[in-house]
Amino acid sequence: MDFIKKVFIRLGSLDRRIIFLFVGFSVIIPLLKPEWVNLPIRPRPESQAVFNELNKLNANDKVLLSFEYGPSTKPEIHPMSIAILKHLFAKDILIYAFALWPDGNFMSTEAFSEVADKYGKKYGIDYVNLGFKPGAEAVVKGIASDLHELYTVDLNGTPIHEIKMMSGIKNIEDFDFVFSLSAGYPGSKEWVQYACDPKDIPMSTGCTSIQVTDIIPYVENGQIRGILAGMPGAAEYESLVEQELKVLGKNSEPGLASSMMAAQSIAHVVIVLFIIFGNITYYISRQKHRKEQL
Amino acid sequence: MLYKRHIPLLIVVGVGLLTLFGHFINNDIVKDFVDNDSTQWFDIIASFAVFLGALNMLKLQIIKIINKKKNWQYSILSVLGFSFAILAGFFYKGANYVVITDIKLEDIRKVSEIIATETQHKNIYEIESKLIKLESPYEVDKIFITKRNANRFIDQIAPLVKKIELKSKPWGAHVQTEGSLFYWMFIYMITPLGATMFALLAFFVASASYRAFRIRNFEATLLLIAGILLMLGRVPIGALIPWWAISIAAIFGLGALLAPLIKDKKVLFGFVGIGSVLLILIGTYLGWNQNPPELLSIPAIQDWIFAYPTMAGSRALMIGIALGIVATCFRIIIGLDKSFLGE
Repeated sequence: MDFIKKVFIRLGSLDRRIIFLFVGFSVIIPLLKPEWVNLPIRPRPESQAVFNELNKLNANDKVLLSFEYGPSTKPEIHPMSIAILKHLFAKDILIYAFALWPDGNFMSTEAFSEVADKYGKKYGIDYVNLGFKPGAEAVVKGIASDLHELYTVDLNGTPIHEIKMMSGIKNIEDFDFVFSLSAGYPGSKEWVQYACDPKDIPMSTGCTSIQVTDIIPYVENGQIRGILAGMPGAAEYESLVEQELKVLGKNSEPGLASSMMAAQSIAHVVIVLFIIFGNITYYISRQKHRKEQL
Repeated sequence: MLYKRHIPLLIVVGVGLLTLFGHFINNDIVKDFVDNDSTQWFDIIASFAVFLGALNMLKLQIIKIINKKKNWQYSILSVLGFSFAILAGFFYKGANYVVITDIKLEDIRKVSEIIATETQHKNIYEIESKLIKLESPYEVDKIFITKRNANRFIDQIAPLVKKIELKSKPWGAHVQTEGSLFYWMFIYMITPLGATMFALLAFFVASASYRAFRIRNFEATLLLIAGILLMLGRVPIGALIPWWAISIAAIFGLGALLAPLIKDKKVLFGFVGIGSVLLILIGTYLGWNQNPPELLSIPAIQDWIFAYPTMAGSRALMIGIALGIVATCFRIIIGLDKSFLGE
């Protein structure tokens, strides 16, 4: 018993570099060899709700897709962007991209160039990218009232009145659905508060895990219809889209988030194990300290 | 005093009141101001603020280098990075492309091969078919950062085509053009740096939770249990944890809670041991191996934590923040709070 206690006390003073090493391996090994850890991905009700809402849309419906994330949150949100573009393009839905973050421009460009060609979609006919404008909620408010006042050219510098699919679009009320790919401020909250809720336009969101607690009240109220929560949400949506693409007879490749879930799962287990060991050590050292005091 | 204090105050109070009343007065002029003009004003001011912010950052970093303040070496990197971004954004487009407007039919195959090698395109036939159907100018699917590289490519292809042109993407659009200098900077410098910063969090969270996530008191214990359940419940591995493991953990938890009340350790260990065995036997008899109850499923417990305690806390925070914003805005509008004047 004393030996075990000693081991735990020694574990308590473990150098942080050893912990880093464990975490590093727990992430790298499943990333390099995902087939070693095959975990089933079961969609949660919130992810299923997002899928159902987007799946209800018909061909030529208009979806406003807002990119509000950057390189730091790309691993969590970008797989969602790809899966959503695949889903919408497969259903021949028209996509209008905006960005509330400057980095969002690069994310949207990358996402479109990865997916559009594979689905035979043409810029200006099937999708358009209007890009970033500074001003956060003021931009959302501008899009809600009259986007022509705010946007005169698209991301490539083409005047928007020359873009075929922009005809008949005045403000948020001309869209059938809004989807916010959000990693913080400005993001999903601003879309709810300044555009979708006042104008009664259905919206959903995909956000980072850390943001879920901020967004969940809007989801429970029905102001946001479903939520893709972090990388697990992205993986769940990918699996739903993959099934749908098979039904539609389209090619589907496994998504990036699904392959990263093994790494995240193992890393979480390693952190939980460290917490448990840390607490056992804490308990033993506290007891020892009390005995010494007596 | 008048210019520095009274006029700015009047502008803020006037615009604040007008925006506030815009939501209550059904007047088209006021409504138009609130919905369109004010947001455009905001955009213009925000654009200038970005410019001012950038200049201010540059000024601070340069002062740090000149005065050789602590860690001034990092400021050199900061200024260099800033200058490079300015160069790629405003002075050097680095977004050249080649357009073929006329081609000799007999050379289409050769031209396709050269283009496929240059663009690393796997399907030569796709390029070939596009060149055969050449109705509008064919844009080679590659952006050349330098004109020298573009001309090298043109030299290769020029003898085989009738007309070839070197063009450049327009200012502004060059920033978003895949392959341009600015795009290269974003993809190969900013993206990996940003991702690295965020990825480091995993290591710090692991180390910090190992040292700080301790059962010190009741509140800390609740936080720890909720944290563990969320960490496991949010990932697919959480669904694989069997019901009996959660039952045993629950019995151990109950034992820990009752420990201060039970002085005889044998009774305590008996309670935990017998309780665990009993629960497993009952569960097996009730068929929990096939259909475990929601109460013993980590994802279900995690969902409950999100749907009730977390949401209640989030709503309380949101309402508190909203009340705070209302109070602050009211103080600004009536001129009580003059912090925006630097007071």
